[in-house]
Amino acid sequence: MSLVGLVECKTRNVDSIKRAVREAFRLIDYSLPKVEKIVIKPNMCYYWDWSTGQTTDPFFVAALIRLFREEISTDVKISIVESDASAMKCKYAFKYLGYEKLAKDCNVDLVNLSSVEAEKAAVKVADKVFEFMIPKIIREADLCVNVPKMKYMSFTKISAALKNIYGCNPYPKKFEYHSKLDKVIVALNKVMPFDLHVLDGLTVCGSKTLRLGLVMASQDPVAIDAVAAKIMGVNPKSVAHLMLAEKEGLGKTSFIAKGVDINYFMRRFPRRSFSEKAIALGYRVACKLSLDKRLV
Amino acid sequence: MFVVEMEKINLGVIGLGFIGKVHLRNCLNLKSVRVVAAADTSKKALNYAKSFGVKQLFTDYHELLKLKDLDAVIISLPTHLHAECAISAMEEGKHVFLEKPLAPNVEEGNEIASAAKKNGVKFMVGYPFRFASQFVNLKSQVESGFLGDIQMAYGVDIAAGPFFHRAESTAPRPVPEWWLNKELTGGGALMDLGCHMINLLRWYLGEVSVIKARLGYRYNFDFEDYATCIVDFECGASAVVNVGWFSQSVAVGLELHGTMSHARAYHSPSNKIVTAIKLILGRTPRFFIPYLKEVSHFVDYIRNDDGENRLSGEDALKDLEIIAKAYKNQIN
Repeated sequence: MSLVGLVECKTRNVDSIKRAVREAFRLIDYSLPKVEKIVIKPNMCYYWDWSTGQTTDPFFVAALIRLFREEISTDVKISIVESDASAMKCKYAFKYLGYEKLAKDCNVDLVNLSSVEAEKAAVKVADKVFEFMIPKIIREADLCVNVPKMKYMSFTKISAALKNIYGCNPYPKKFEYHSKLDKVIVALNKVMPFDLHVLDGLTVCGSKTLRLGLVMASQDPVAIDAVAAKIMGVNPKSVAHLMLAEKEGLGKTSFIAKGVDINYFMRRFPRRSFSEKAIALGYRVACKLSLDKRLV
Repeated sequence: MFVVEMEKINLGVIGLGFIGKVHLRNCLNLKSVRVVAAADTSKKALNYAKSFGVKQLFTDYHELLKLKDLDAVIISLPTHLHAECAISAMEEGKHVFLEKPLAPNVEEGNEIASAAKKNGVKFMVGYPFRFASQFVNLKSQVESGFLGDIQMAYGVDIAAGPFFHRAESTAPRPVPEWWLNKELTGGGALMDLGCHMINLLRWYLGEVSVIKARLGYRYNFDFEDYATCIVDFECGASAVVNVGWFSQSVAVGLELHGTMSHARAYHSPSNKIVTAIKLILGRTPRFFIPYLKEVSHFVDYIRNDDGENRLSGEDALKDLEIIAKAYKNQIN
């Protein structure tokens, strides 16, 4: 069973977040290694800023950067990475979501993975071989840190740590993967394993947006996703990519949650209502029947 | 008894982005209109028109404008293309319905309005709120004298701007890049949404004497994503207008405060499921009814020699001039 640390952070400021992250690391017995190059992958989704609960808060990333500089070295080279997607371009997202300002203030690099050097790599998942271009910056990093959000998603039920690595695929037309999303998510996690997962649950988006104040950390993406699913009221066993990831050896759905009681966050998370689930199902059906093209 | 059926108007739709598609669907629901052609640079967009039975499709709108049997066009192109396209259409003798804002700047707006006069074609600018029942009712209250003499007003138009969920889809759609280029749009939220509010307030209160604006930049672009305007009218009334591109939730409304009473009109959100079903069935959802009404008004205006035009080029030009003054008179 893998350790998952849960900490509450009630205020949205860099120092409070840093303290909460440090505590989460302590709960999972994690010590930051002495490294030179760190890659941080936040969750950027479209042009919705942190206040929507859809994207990683730049304050959260700023807290991580400050912690890394304090614990590892002031000279450690840190890069924040994201890739272009079907409906999002990094050049705008970095600016719009506040990462351009963060990079300037914290002296870190912003990297659009869709426009950097990458090497082809093949990976097998459930007897199917997938080929991706793997950005060199990720391959050469000493420490890869995943900073996902937790949210519902039509096609995969939930989006958290495993799904966030989907955004490391430099290929921009990501909608092309939608029919085989579960396998692709697992394949990308296999080919680009991240060392550490620190979930930003300060502001979350469920049936509504809420300041949940949750900071979660784990070295196991499957375990942290299983905890996220439970908090969101989703049975981890019903999440196909989670089960597939476990089968492929990426982690374990069984976990030991340490710190604040998981029930505290489960009670407060704004879970989806029956009608919202019905809308999500209806949308999936509309997509299958190609009727979504009329929803413009 | 003889029934004389009026001839249908042959219409072309130029630009099949979000609003262009709304107009296309609405036109197909108008009995007095025949959509004979559509133009867009995107083949995907043209396939959308094809799926609704539009037969003549063009990637170059100049080809569409050459069609002899075409009476009028609806232009829903990016703002910086308005002048070139509208003037070309007018020179080909086509009546023109053009999406707001009229142009990215007053000079181009002037050229469009002049070209309509010069070529003797009918020209209307699309301002859907002028056809929304709640704002029409507010106009009736103003005209009835029920409010007395209006002294103060408040207008608000806040939404997500170009960064919104397209219709009822749960997946985000790409933002056309021209939206993020100030040179091409002529401005940000003030230009995009401010013109709606200025147009409505002018409808209720008459001409503007002074306007000042404070612009905000929450999202770090070189154009404003929110603005507050203080507007004085020649009638002596004053208004505050708030516009913004920062919210996932829509707030559109107006409040009028007179010496005798107060009145307000707010846009109410539609049921998402009903909207989605209507869109799939090709019907007009409640949110898009004002868009249907404005095109219907345009068609009536074309068909009747002495037909009324609620939204002339000159009217839209005045809105543009006021917005230009607001950009010039900034409050720090």
